[in-house]
Amino acid sequence: MKIRIVLAAVIATTCLTGVALADTSSKKIALSNNYAGNSWRQAMLKSWGTVTSKAVADKVVADASAFTTAENQATEQAAQIQNLILQGYDAIVINAASPTALNGAVKEACDAGVTVVSFDGIVTEPCAWRVAVDFQKMGAIQVDYLAERFPDGGNLLEIRGLAGVFVDDEIHKGIEEGVKKHPKFKIVSSVHGDWAQEVAQKAVAGVLPTLPPIKAVVTQGGDGYGAAQAFKGAGREVPIIIMGNRQDELLWWKDQKEASGYETMSVSIAPGVGTLAFWVAQQILDGKQVPKDLIVPFLSVEQNNLEERLKQTEKGGVTNVEYSLNDAQAVIAGTK
Amino acid sequence: MTADDMPSPASASMRDTPRRRRRTVPVWAWPLGAAAVILVMTLIHSGGQGAGDILAAAVTFSALFVIVGLGQMLVITSGPGNVDLSIPAAISLSGAIAMKVMDGANGMIAVGLLAALAAAMSLGVANYLLIRLLRIPPIIATLSSSLIVQSIAIAYGRGLKIKPPPAFADFCTGRILGVSNLALVAAALTALVLLALSRTLYGRTLLALGQNARAARLAGTPVTRTRLTTSIASATLAGLCGVLLAGFSGGSSLNMGEEYLLASIAVTVIGGTSVAGGRAEPLGIWGAALLLFLIVTMLNTFGLSAGVRLIATGLIIVTVIAIGGGSKRV
Repeated sequence: MKIRIVLAAVIATTCLTGVALADTSSKKIALSNNYAGNSWRQAMLKSWGTVTSKAVADKVVADASAFTTAENQATEQAAQIQNLILQGYDAIVINAASPTALNGAVKEACDAGVTVVSFDGIVTEPCAWRVAVDFQKMGAIQVDYLAERFPDGGNLLEIRGLAGVFVDDEIHKGIEEGVKKHPKFKIVSSVHGDWAQEVAQKAVAGVLPTLPPIKAVVTQGGDGYGAAQAFKGAGREVPIIIMGNRQDELLWWKDQKEASGYETMSVSIAPGVGTLAFWVAQQILDGKQVPKDLIVPFLSVEQNNLEERLKQTEKGGVTNVEYSLNDAQAVIAGTK
Repeated sequence: MTADDMPSPASASMRDTPRRRRRTVPVWAWPLGAAAVILVMTLIHSGGQGAGDILAAAVTFSALFVIVGLGQMLVITSGPGNVDLSIPAAISLSGAIAMKVMDGANGMIAVGLLAALAAAMSLGVANYLLIRLLRIPPIIATLSSSLIVQSIAIAYGRGLKIKPPPAFADFCTGRILGVSNLALVAAALTALVLLALSRTLYGRTLLALGQNARAARLAGTPVTRTRLTTSIASATLAGLCGVLLAGFSGGSSLNMGEEYLLASIAVTVIGGTSVAGGRAEPLGIWGAALLLFLIVTMLNTFGLSAGVRLIATGLIIVTVIAIGGGSKRV
């Protein structure tokens, strides 16, 4: 009996000290970010700042600084990563300028014993972790939604992102698959909007006069408001435009909803995904077993939670959630 | 009245080519002709559908490129190595300032416009000081000032996309007799620049400066003032474009100036302005801007894949410059 109690006590203490032993309070995590010039990246950096400064204050980690390169160049970011290795960071969280061009620098980091977690713009180097987005699914669910709304199908206008970028190809593939699954839909035109409202507006305005009536517009985010402006400018009835969680898009949607009962949906990745990557890095430093490939949950806005989401979204920003340690653990457990 | 009736600014460059060119087609007509061909091909593909609307959209969007292009043209004309890379930053900052100051109120339109243009003008002055006082090459000077300004725009504009005042938005998207107001503004500015280049001391000095800076200085022309004016003009035109763009597309955004950097240089050069300086073609900018817009429209209408689109765009631009440029070099 006594032995049992002692044993239990020993086990309990080991468990407790186990937590204390895997302490990350002396660990330093850096964010290497390649670009900050749009609202999504701004929100990402802000979320990173909010979550990590609390983590530092709570002594979960010693340091979690963010570094952004000025020119959005892979070479510049590779040099930055080398600097971060020299500065003695224990983990580097990367939003990469290129999936392959940073592999050399990432390998150097791994060899130096630095944990590398990439997210959003992921790297293919096998020693790094990837907090990736299922972009194909992001395209496919748009068509799924439309199939539910319009069982008879119709003409679709597709607004793509920046030509030649991985994300653009993936979402496009997803949309094509969605159309294959729901063959009553037909993509009558596909333009590049570069994820920017002004570019999307220009591209849609140019092609619109040659198009038959459009039932819906499938998008990649950051282009829905521009598309709406182009339809309005051409004096055509505005079709169902899938939105991408930008505040201007949601605000426009709300105005239309109030004026005419306009219904659509909106889906994107929360910029707070950076904080998810932060917690994943912390968990790895903590000695937890984490699979190399993790999938980020989507953040979607529906007709019934539009007002609530819009209220949470900063003016000019993107609908966001900041992830907690528990969220990260759930994502890790979900992939296992 | 066509450009042929008045002494075209291009004629200034004839002094350094002793042989008179056999030139029946003015330089600015080439890109315009190419744009027309592209439009016809688009219409053939679409079965003639939407001709008027495509043209209206092309003229509207081109107007913004023309406004920026005019400024870039003045800078490039002032001599080899001169280029303004701070244009995107000027666009973003002015758009942000205008929308924030106007704050959706019709009464504040003039104030917002003035504030935005004032900010752009200061950028122009700053660029000039960097280039002339600190002797930094223009490419580096405007690039670094653009990094600073872009950061200011980001800090200032955080939480933006404030809607433009209704009256201003109506103006920017409106049309008079079927021609968009933006195009009218751009046309007025083009006329102003044409006039300035051919009839004013500023214009003549700028062309002389571009052809031979040393000779221009020794001839006693106001070189310093001309350079300063050019720098301010470019930044201010970019700023105006930013304000109009924000009004046109329902608010400003951080990256709205991005596509104007290379585009402003492209429309200038495709339009026939000499990269070496000393020869400006304001009318060519219209043709080039229309061409760039219509190429995108055509390729979108054809539904080609992204790679093919980029290759086709490159080939078309090279072809236009080769044909147009060939006639002026011989």
